[in-house]
Amino acid sequence: MRCVRMALVAMLLALCSCMKWEYGLEESFDTSASGEGLFICNEGNFQYGNATLSYYDPTTKSVQNEVFYRANAMKLGDVAQSMTIHNDIGWVVVNNSHVVFAIDINTFKEVGRITNLTSPRYIHFISDEKAYITQIWDNRIFIVNPKRYEVTGYIEIPNMTMEQGSTEQMVQYGKYLYVNCWSYQNRIIKIDTETDQVVDELVVGIQPTSLVMDCNNKLWTVTDGGYEGSPYGHEAPSLYRIDAESFTIEQQFKFNFGDWPSEVQLNGTKDKIYWLNDDVWEMDVTADRVPVRPFLPYNGTLYYGLTVCPRTGDVYIADAIDYVQQGMVYRYSKDRELLDSFYVGIIPGAFCWK
Amino acid sequence: MIRLLIILSIALIPYATLAQEYNTKDWATRGIDIPEVPVYGERPMKDIGTQQTRLDTIALKENIALSMADVLTFNTSIFVKSYGRATLSTVSFRGTSPSHTQVSWNGMKINNPMLGMTDFSMIPSYFIDDASLLHGTSSVNETGGGLGGAIKLSTKPAQEQGFGLQYIQGIGSFKTFDEFLRLTYGNDNWQVSTRLVYSSSPNEYKYRNHDKKENIYDEDMNIIDQYYPVEYNRSGSYKDFHILQEAYYNTGRGDRFGLNAWYINSNRELAMLTVDYGDEDDFDNRQRENTFRGVLSWDHLRDSWKMSAKGGYIYTWMAYDYKRDVGNGTMAHMTRSRSRINTIYGQVDGEYYIGNKWLFTANISLYQHIVESEDKNIVRQDGNKAIVGYRKGRPELSGSLSAKWRPIDRLGLSIVIREEMFGEEWTPIIPALFLDGVLSKRGNIIAKASLSRNYRFPTLNDLYFLPGGNPDLKKESGWTYDAGISFAVGKEGIYSLSGSATWFESFIKDWIIWLPTTKGFFSPDNIKDVHAYGIEVKADLNVAITKELQLGLNGTFSWTPSINEGEPRTPADQSVGKQLPYVPELSSTITGRLTWRSWSFLYKWCYYSERYTMSSNDISLTGKLPEYFMSNISLEKGFSFRWADISLKGVINNLFNEEYLSVLSRPMPGINFEIFLGITPKW
Repeated sequence: MRCVRMALVAMLLALCSCMKWEYGLEESFDTSASGEGLFICNEGNFQYGNATLSYYDPTTKSVQNEVFYRANAMKLGDVAQSMTIHNDIGWVVVNNSHVVFAIDINTFKEVGRITNLTSPRYIHFISDEKAYITQIWDNRIFIVNPKRYEVTGYIEIPNMTMEQGSTEQMVQYGKYLYVNCWSYQNRIIKIDTETDQVVDELVVGIQPTSLVMDCNNKLWTVTDGGYEGSPYGHEAPSLYRIDAESFTIEQQFKFNFGDWPSEVQLNGTKDKIYWLNDDVWEMDVTADRVPVRPFLPYNGTLYYGLTVCPRTGDVYIADAIDYVQQGMVYRYSKDRELLDSFYVGIIPGAFCWK
Repeated sequence: MIRLLIILSIALIPYATLAQEYNTKDWATRGIDIPEVPVYGERPMKDIGTQQTRLDTIALKENIALSMADVLTFNTSIFVKSYGRATLSTVSFRGTSPSHTQVSWNGMKINNPMLGMTDFSMIPSYFIDDASLLHGTSSVNETGGGLGGAIKLSTKPAQEQGFGLQYIQGIGSFKTFDEFLRLTYGNDNWQVSTRLVYSSSPNEYKYRNHDKKENIYDEDMNIIDQYYPVEYNRSGSYKDFHILQEAYYNTGRGDRFGLNAWYINSNRELAMLTVDYGDEDDFDNRQRENTFRGVLSWDHLRDSWKMSAKGGYIYTWMAYDYKRDVGNGTMAHMTRSRSRINTIYGQVDGEYYIGNKWLFTANISLYQHIVESEDKNIVRQDGNKAIVGYRKGRPELSGSLSAKWRPIDRLGLSIVIREEMFGEEWTPIIPALFLDGVLSKRGNIIAKASLSRNYRFPTLNDLYFLPGGNPDLKKESGWTYDAGISFAVGKEGIYSLSGSATWFESFIKDWIIWLPTTKGFFSPDNIKDVHAYGIEVKADLNVAITKELQLGLNGTFSWTPSINEGEPRTPADQSVGKQLPYVPELSSTITGRLTWRSWSFLYKWCYYSERYTMSSNDISLTGKLPEYFMSNISLEKGFSFRWADISLKGVINNLFNEEYLSVLSRPMPGINFEIFLGITPKW
């Protein structure tokens, strides 16, 4: 009889057992002593809200994953797109959560957030009280006051529909800001940051994906060339060097048709550029032709993200593997020696140096 | 407090049986002689060696508000991946993906040819009179491509004489309204039925959001406090309308004709994620669908042979709109995608018996799909407008021959040969072998085994979707076998007990998966080789405790490891040898029904083990989907008056008010209630 009762109780417990949607526990971090550090934005899977932030200390070669969740006991959101540091505050742009989080870069604690965004991609600071946030599926760049965490205005992009809206990375030269327009676009736009108006544009190839400015004030962008069957066109991608002053193309480096170059990055002295195209490539900013051999040849790794340490020149490459598991980051010296590798979150796509 | 509420609710909600009564006399088979499915004894030749789960009318008609997704969740071993209430619900049969389950309605396949899968939340269970699951190999008897299995859904004549009417109104939590109306007419030759279902709800259920915090700032915008907000399910409203017209004509001389026409009009918002910080008034994220499905059928039945022909048509228009308020209440499109599917269908089946030892069957079906997909409106470089999308047509031909042989009462053998053509590509011959044998007549102990090869072609989106479609995809292929044992014992009018246990194993090659690319879109590829195996157990008990008190218990249990056995994608790949994400290893259901006079009490319970969200099976803080238990109850009471039968029913879902997620960032409703009132006039 006792056995029967126990069985009944066990059965009842099984029927009533809880499937907990757990609350997080706040952890304390303090990385102020370590100096240099690298944030890794792990996009996570679109619509699953599993984006994460990782933090890597290059000196101790130690990595901490899910630091935003652990420090704040809440999720980072859906698709962590990019991160920018301004005045010791890290601004993490979470695309499909329609939010930009401001965090303390040493404790990872949230200090504020900007909401009311359409589909944010990148943030650029014009001053302490003014920043621009680019969007996809919106033909406006949002002007925000980072101190008040509020949207203060918009810059409408000429000849861009809402559905085809795409503004991406931003680089400033004097009072002018340059923005590459990517999805079903082919141009770099120039914005006067005093008037918040688009004052010029430069047509490049199909879908320029990234934008940086080297030590000679030359802008670099790489196009992906579109895709087969696209009504917008499909062409061989190119790397462009653009003079920021005259806003003209100085040189076009053509890739093979079907190549998929991406992720143009600079080293700390801004005299070398790097990009991904199956392999990892490196080139002097004054070079007239693309090198014959890659900096790091393809070795079965699906490169997804790239950064170069501004201090040491170490090259960090993210491998998203199958996009549904923790990605791997490889760290190479500028002499191509593998120094470290570590697992981060799902789809490591963007880096940010402290 | 909650328990007290539950008890009060049960006590206060009188309730009655809504289950539709069916005449025991089978109208459809009147005047002919075809093999029947007995509880004990002889097994139908057509089912030799097949692993089949049949859902009874009670499960299907238990609640007008249920979709087939709900019915499958609580009554079968299939894992249903639901994104929320009245949102996309797909199935994983034996650890496979949603497109590995072939679904037919009155013989016509209704898998979306662009996506491959079926959304079971769009199928009201009240429109289905007969549902069978064909596990693994057994699906080859019906169709190809069912690497996991097949689900057969069909309607049946109401078997009424004269006019009939049934109306049920359901009112539930979250301002949910469900309405069902059925009009029937029948005589010796004709059976006509019209069914309507309308469900609507703002679906604004309350939950405490564990994934985000609200900030409280001081004047200088410093955070001085944070809290987990109590939120409503935002932008999750739905309005679904279904109408089903049926007409059957039976000549009484072995010919019967059928018409089934089903129209769906659905308008559903896509609920915001738990981690969405957008203002719901600023966005409109909505999916609309108009679908018509029609089937004309003719069955010609004779003593030793049967022939049937079917013709059908499916039209689906789907719209997805994602809009943003750009000021002054103007909603501008961020995404405007449209798809149209036209499918013409024809099928001929034949069966021929030689004595009672041989049955030969032949079947051929043809589907012609014509699809249009418009994903985005753009302005081209030359300034002209263009649409990103594709238009394609594809014929899909499938034919099979089978021979079924029962040399002695105790033994049955069956061989099926199927071949399919999609577009211009043919599968190799798809063979399937089935065997069953009676080990003991006393306990009706029957052993079954089957083995088959199978293929699944890429869907039209897999091949042609812009951007990302991959025309170079190979078809998926698989080997599967199963072996099991079943028994059935009982004493008429006192009890019945039956059960089965089945072992299965499948090897699937070139599994197609969509993955992101560095160009910002997803693209499919033949990525994985998967080894799925496991055990399925079913049991069913019915006991007449007294003359008026009856107990029914039904349970299922599945253990379904589904292991990635492909090559590592990169040197760092940790997914090889691991369970596929979002496929539970263990699942179980229990349904208990107690009936006393005109009262009936139902308890439904289901369980899924933890689902991994990463292919490496790592469990992270942000990617946890813990095990899932769900309990629902209902109580019903019927009143019979001279002028009508009235029924009252009360339902409590999520009995223990669990705070839970079925998919990451998709909160599910806590405890919720619905009351149904039904009336069936007596003319």
